[in-house]
Amino acid sequence: MIAEKRIPSDDQLREEFEALARRAGIEVLDDRREAMFASFCDYRRMTALLHGARTAGVESANIFSIESVKRRQ
Amino acid sequence: MTTGKPLHELSIAEAGAALRNGSLRATQLADHALARIAAINPAINAFVTVTEDRARADAAAADADFARGIDRGPLQGIPYGLKDIYDTEGIRTACHSKLRVDHVPSADSAVAEKFRTQGAVLLGKLTTNEFALGNPDPDAPFPPALNPWNTAHSPGGSSSGSGAAVAAGLTRIAMGSDTGASIRGPASYCGIVGLKPTFGLVSRRGVFPLSPSLDHCGPLTRSVEDAAIVMEAISGHDPNDPASANVSIPKFRSLMASGVKGLRIGVPRHFFEGAKGLSPEALDGIDSSLQKLRDAGASVEAITLPDYELFTACGRVIMYTEAFAIHENDFRQRPREFGFSTYMRMIMGAFTTGPDMVQALRLRRELTEAMNAAFSTCDAIVTATALGPAPRMNTPGDWAMPSDSPMQCIQFNVTGHPALALPTRLSGSGLPLALQIAAKHFDEPTLLRIGAVLEEDNEILSRWPQLAHT
Repeated sequence: MIAEKRIPSDDQLREEFEALARRAGIEVLDDRREAMFASFCDYRRMTALLHGARTAGVESANIFSIESVKRRQ
Repeated sequence: MTTGKPLHELSIAEAGAALRNGSLRATQLADHALARIAAINPAINAFVTVTEDRARADAAAADADFARGIDRGPLQGIPYGLKDIYDTEGIRTACHSKLRVDHVPSADSAVAEKFRTQGAVLLGKLTTNEFALGNPDPDAPFPPALNPWNTAHSPGGSSSGSGAAVAAGLTRIAMGSDTGASIRGPASYCGIVGLKPTFGLVSRRGVFPLSPSLDHCGPLTRSVEDAAIVMEAISGHDPNDPASANVSIPKFRSLMASGVKGLRIGVPRHFFEGAKGLSPEALDGIDSSLQKLRDAGASVEAITLPDYELFTACGRVIMYTEAFAIHENDFRQRPREFGFSTYMRMIMGAFTTGPDMVQALRLRRELTEAMNAAFSTCDAIVTATALGPAPRMNTPGDWAMPSDSPMQCIQFNVTGHPALALPTRLSGSGLPLALQIAAKHFDEPTLLRIGAVLEEDNEILSRWPQLAHT
């Protein structure tokens, strides 16, 4: 079972797209705006999948659990 | 000639034996490879730079060492190529990008250094997709690699030239990198062997990063034995790679001959059965291979893992975010220097929020633990790589959305487990199909054991694509 974060309406998505682009300091090139927005909508569906319920034991991690790799200290 | 085979058909071990008994010289091997590159490369664009002078010098040095009784190991005198994101001292490393088209490194990457100091012969740099991401771009500074089995089709990416070069017999060894499929995808589409090692086993120092926490360096080869030999040569701790693991390196080649009797194979059929784009022939290839493993004494059982979609979401968000962080200044200052598909994918990282990234990293932990739990009940996992044969080369402006990818490889980048791609059969259209085997962290020997069994009588690995010049 995959718990998804709610996907906003198209208008809200477009507002979010423009705001996040400004926040990142990138200029949305006019000739790529619609293709970028379509890609953003796909990406937004992907990020929504990340927000399912997790237990407290699932802390942010890079790759491995401690027992699965030995690294030089 | 040594065993009656053309020189490009000699395995590393066969060539090594001939070099050591004096029936073959490294300069002959290099001349043969360079001649094949001159004849075939214009049709498939596998090499972006051919280092002819360096190859001849390396080969002469190897021969001189043999003559003096100096043996630097199994790669001495053996030709190889490096994906054009591996730094090579004094040799352009352009990452297939206008942004780095004039970049000449001042030092070798760790892997290039290992090949050089072990006496191998550098043939050149191999085509990639820009910054090891995206699709071939029509506005890229170099032409895209093409699939030797049918040049109208993709060789896969991003180690596109690596896959094409090995499949066409231009080199036995091509180094690639794999962040979401970039070794296993080209290996699958080109009908060769591709090994993505455990994260941390092979140093990434001097290899241009796409997404540092997902990037893996590994070989594309003509056989499982060749892969085992290369892994012994390139594995090992590197204090200059922050992710490098300090583990002992097994004797991969000697362990691969142990067979599969008693091994427990888990198959997450829910990953690929019913997946969009799964070809019945690809499914048949997987099932036939599983039967071969049963016949050889392994047990095969279905297992359940988290939904594949979660692995994709987790991996893609981390990949694009880490990649954007590397290139953010260029995205602000000269965005049009990126190829179109690179731009369209990588810029998605600009849209990741802080909580998105934290949740991706939490999910990564959860998915890795789930995969580790699966490996507590089985020794290896067999699953799909490409869901069908190589698609036709992209037309300008055509770039697949990430969720539509016909490749199921990113799960083992997310979790860091080693995975070996191996061809299964040819499709009705004459293109290779494949599967992959994964194992516990640092258990590459089990992958190679299983691969060695599946390699026997393999209809693809015993054939060569029929190019005009072969």
